[in-house]
Amino acid sequence: MKKTIIYILLFAFIFSACEKDDICLLPTTPKLVLRFYDNTSQTTVKKVERLSIWADGKDTISNYKSVTLDSVAIPLNVNTSQTIYHLKTNSVNGNIANNATSTITINYTTAEEYVSRSCGFKTIFNNVTITSNNGWIQSFTPTSLTTINNQTSAHVKIFH
Amino acid sequence: MLKYFISFCLVITTISNFAQEKESKDSISIKNMYGLRLGIDISKPIMGMIDSNSSGLEFVADYRISKNWYIAAELGTQKEITVEDYTNSTSNGSFYKIGFNYNAYENWLDMNNEIFVGFRYATSSFEQTLNSYTSNTESDYFSGNTLSTPITTKGLNAHWTEFVMGIKVETFKNLFLGFSFSYKIMLSLKQPTNFKTLYVPGFNRVFETETGFGFNYTVSYTIPFISK
Repeated sequence: MKKTIIYILLFAFIFSACEKDDICLLPTTPKLVLRFYDNTSQTTVKKVERLSIWADGKDTISNYKSVTLDSVAIPLNVNTSQTIYHLKTNSVNGNIANNATSTITINYTTAEEYVSRSCGFKTIFNNVTITSNNGWIQSFTPTSLTTINNQTSAHVKIFH
Repeated sequence: MLKYFISFCLVITTISNFAQEKESKDSISIKNMYGLRLGIDISKPIMGMIDSNSSGLEFVADYRISKNWYIAAELGTQKEITVEDYTNSTSNGSFYKIGFNYNAYENWLDMNNEIFVGFRYATSSFEQTLNSYTSNTESDYFSGNTLSTPITTKGLNAHWTEFVMGIKVETFKNLFLGFSFSYKIMLSLKQPTNFKTLYVPGFNRVFETETGFGFNYTVSYTIPFISK
C-alpha cells in the first residue's frame, strides 16, 4: 500500500516533466490565402508562372521569388490597417519585357486573440476589404470578408 | 467551497476514528511527543534571492493526532513574473492548504523521523497582470504588434488537490528539517478574459493539463503539548 502510493507519485513526477505546452503547435496569426483560377473556366485552378510577390516598400518574400504556383499565403501587416501587395508574373519567358504586375490593396481592422502559453497571442483581421488595380488579375472574389481568423482554406479566388 | 470543506471534515473524522482503533498496540510504552509543529519554507526566500522574478513566503504547520497521522497545513503568499516567448505576466496572491500526512517510517524507540505521504486541499486568491505581449505572426516579413499597457485581472481564484511525499528529520530536540515534493491537480480555476492563468500562487506553473508540481524545504519546531 505504502509502496504503491510512492510509485504513483514517482510516475506522476516523471510524466508531469514532459508537457506539450513548451512548443507552439497551434495556428497563430493567419496569412491571406490567394488561389489562382482560370478566367475562362472559373472552376479550374490555373498556376501563375514566374510569380514574385512583395509588399509595398519591402523586399520580395523569399518563398515567392519567380515561382510557379496555384496558391499563395501572404502575411498581413498587424501594425497597420492596410497592406499593399505587388504580384508580378511572366507567362511568356524570363524576359523583363514580358513582366506583368498587379497590385492588390487589403484594408482591415486588427484584434488580438489569446492562443496558449507558448504561442502567445495571434492577430485576427476583421472587416477585410480587398481592391485591385487589375493588370494581369482580371477579377477576384470576394471583395470583402467579415473576418480572417484561420488559413485552413483559400480566402480569395483570383481569376487570370 | 462548502462542499470541499464538508468532505474534508468527513475525511478527518474517518482518519481519527481509524487512528483510535490502532492505538495502544505496542506492549512497550515509549513516550512520543505530540504537539503543534510550526515552521517556514526556506526555499522561497532563497529562490527570491536567486531569481528576481520570484518572491514568496510560506509557513507550515502540522499537528500529530495519532502514532502515524498528522493534520497538516500551509499558508503563504507568492508573487511571480512569468516570461514566455510572446507574453510577460505577473501573478500575485495568497494561498492556504489543509490536509493530512501519514508517516510510513517505523521509528526506533523515541525517534521522531518521518517519511510521509499526504494529501491536501488547497485554494488561492490572486490577481494576474499581463505586463506586455507581442502578437505571434509566425513570420519575420512584418514584425509583430507589441503592446505594453499592463492589463490586470483581480479576484481570480483556484482550488486544487495535492499529493505530497517527503521526509522530516529531527536534527536537534524538537527541531526538524524537512523536504517534500507535491503533485497538484486543479479542480477549478478562474481565467482572465482573452488570456490564461499561467501561474497560481501555491500551485506554481499551471501546465496545459491543469496539473502542477512543487517542492519545499522546511525548518520547523515542535511546541510540545503532551507525551504519550
